[in-house]
Amino acid sequence: MPKFTRKQVLAGAAPIVAAAPFARLSLPGHGDSHLSATHEGHEHARLGHAAMIRDHVPASGGRHDLDELLYPPKALPHKPGRVREYDLVAVDKTIEVAPGVEFNAWTYNGTVPGPVIRATEGDLLRVRFVNGGSHPHTIHFHGIHPSKMDGVFEVVPPGDSFTYEFPARPAGMHLYHCHATPLKKHIHKGLYGAFIVDPKQPRSPAQELVMVMNGYDTDGDGENNFYTVNGRSFYYARYPIEVKRGRTVRIYLANLTEFDPINSFHLHGEFFRYYPTGTGDQFEYTDTVVQAQGQRGIIEIDFNNVGEFMFHAHQSEFAELGWMGFFDVKD
Amino acid sequence: MPGRSWRLWAFVPLVLLTATVALFTATGGSVTGLLGESPPPLDEFDVRRVEFHPGEIRIRVTNPQRDDLTIASVTVDDAIVPYDVDGPTTLGRLRSAEIVVQYDWVPDEPISVGVTSSSGIETRKDIAAAVRTPEASAKSFFGYALIGALVGIVPIAFGLLWLPSLRRAAPEWLAAFMALTAGLLSFLAVEALSEALELQAALPSALGGAGLVLLGVSLSFLFLTAVSRRLGEGAGGGSSVGGLALATLVAIGIGLHNLGEGLAIGSSFALGELALGTFFIVGFMIHNVTEGLGIASPLAEGRAVRWQRLAALALVAGAPAILGAWLGGFVTSDLLGVVFFAAAAGAAFEVVVEVGRYVARRAPGGLASPHVLGGFLAGVVVMYVTGLLVA
Repeated sequence: MPKFTRKQVLAGAAPIVAAAPFARLSLPGHGDSHLSATHEGHEHARLGHAAMIRDHVPASGGRHDLDELLYPPKALPHKPGRVREYDLVAVDKTIEVAPGVEFNAWTYNGTVPGPVIRATEGDLLRVRFVNGGSHPHTIHFHGIHPSKMDGVFEVVPPGDSFTYEFPARPAGMHLYHCHATPLKKHIHKGLYGAFIVDPKQPRSPAQELVMVMNGYDTDGDGENNFYTVNGRSFYYARYPIEVKRGRTVRIYLANLTEFDPINSFHLHGEFFRYYPTGTGDQFEYTDTVVQAQGQRGIIEIDFNNVGEFMFHAHQSEFAELGWMGFFDVKD
Repeated sequence: MPGRSWRLWAFVPLVLLTATVALFTATGGSVTGLLGESPPPLDEFDVRRVEFHPGEIRIRVTNPQRDDLTIASVTVDDAIVPYDVDGPTTLGRLRSAEIVVQYDWVPDEPISVGVTSSSGIETRKDIAAAVRTPEASAKSFFGYALIGALVGIVPIAFGLLWLPSLRRAAPEWLAAFMALTAGLLSFLAVEALSEALELQAALPSALGGAGLVLLGVSLSFLFLTAVSRRLGEGAGGGSSVGGLALATLVAIGIGLHNLGEGLAIGSSFALGELALGTFFIVGFMIHNVTEGLGIASPLAEGRAVRWQRLAALALVAGAPAILGAWLGGFVTSDLLGVVFFAAAAGAAFEVVVEVGRYVARRAPGGLASPHVLGGFLAGVVVMYVTGLLVA
């Protein structure tokens, strides 16, 4: 009969004994993280990003990085036949869309969205396009122009160039984007921008801003991971746009968001006039407008009060993924 | 070869290998460059554990790939959230970090967390129901211990009470019950093995996947073989163990399996995937009472055994369920699960071998007798049917 010695019991219980050190892991105190956030940071954190403004907001870059995209060039008076020249170069560039998040973009002139193109009705618009990217590209303008200047048939291979030339019409707020195939990819990788055509009769003086709504699908699953206006998520929450009360704020708003059927613009604490496509006098007096991809319009705001007013997509998911900002209205 | 030099020759392959490896790491890019560009790293996080505490969600992530992986953004339910990391946000190979998010999660509702790398790749983890992760408190320690005891020790102790009946059974029936033990253990072994293989599929491949399972199985199999050899030596010869020694082996095998069971129960509850209703615990009790029978069968022949020894056997077989529940509830990761289930499978297989040898030696009619075959089958069937109660 075998002896049931202590040694044998221990041998049999060895796995249980060996697991004892793990028990320590479950005691409180182990695994406490060395959190660097201050108490204040925690307070801000509890509110989530929906109410965060300025310093704690995760947005990349400095205060004036996107000024060229936000503030359009000045409108010029009507002068039929004047030539407006622009140089656009398609460039493959890795951009930072959120702090620490990189996106391999295809850009016009190194930015997503591309530069604001502006002309007055009757101007001859001449856009010299050079394809410095690795894929064939074009520029398709929304407007009225000859079919061979449309950016559909004359695809520009890498290294080549093409000059688009046509009279700028009709007056209104438009946009441009690449129309090479696959269309979805060429748009969502960043080849788009705002195209403003001023009417013969100048619009009333206003503080003018351009906002292009977009999104980034950084992991290629067909859904946007980040939503922004003018290219960086949460940017205008970190750096609120300063405007003056008493002068109309005019926003040229366009939607180039891929994958989602619609996007929207909602303003807090104020109502505005919305002119669809900016082509007429009819406006809607509201605080929320919806745009499908490719739609655009002009918003005019006369702020009644000073202070910080949030603006964001009313699709809450887009807002919480980066498409939100603040106006800082001052006297 | 003269005395010393053959020893030095043994180093030559190692030296050559080291030299070649050094040379290749210095210049290897030109060799692989001939083949073309390699794809970028997958940049997926291994989300090991998500814990829910009042006002807070804690996410434990690991970098499973060769290249560095940087945490750039964290989302909860498709919203970017502020977060803290207990260390640098760039993780080296196989390094972990704990992400803490201040968040008012809603109990019992589904929730998803996402961790986005610097290359924009988002790894999501969907949680079926957000349940408060039990803190390591005296109350939860006791709770898991009680469940482990109810599910592990109690049914086995009841099963051991069949010993007096077994002692009065005819040798053929005894052989049948031994075969039942073997059938039962085979069932447990296969169950544990399939659980281990299922879990390893979810692990990052850097941890060895199926190889890890084989490692766990081999380790426990060989360990128990060594234990059985030791126990057999005391019996004074014979190539197989019997009686108390065999019962001990069976108890160890079942104990390791119950460790895995406890782990599964504990982690399922902690992750909100399991409603620990009375039905579930009752089902487990019924399922495990046959394990007590399995331990008692080898004791039916031979000398009487003191009840203290029986109690010890019940503890060896049942107590690991408590330990497993503690580990699963407070610590678990899929990696631990794979290791424990693989070990349980290996142990159970080894004990089946031992029981088989015992039956071959002692059963009237040998291994192929109808009692043995029927007993084995009965063991499998009983485990299957009672297992349905907890499915």
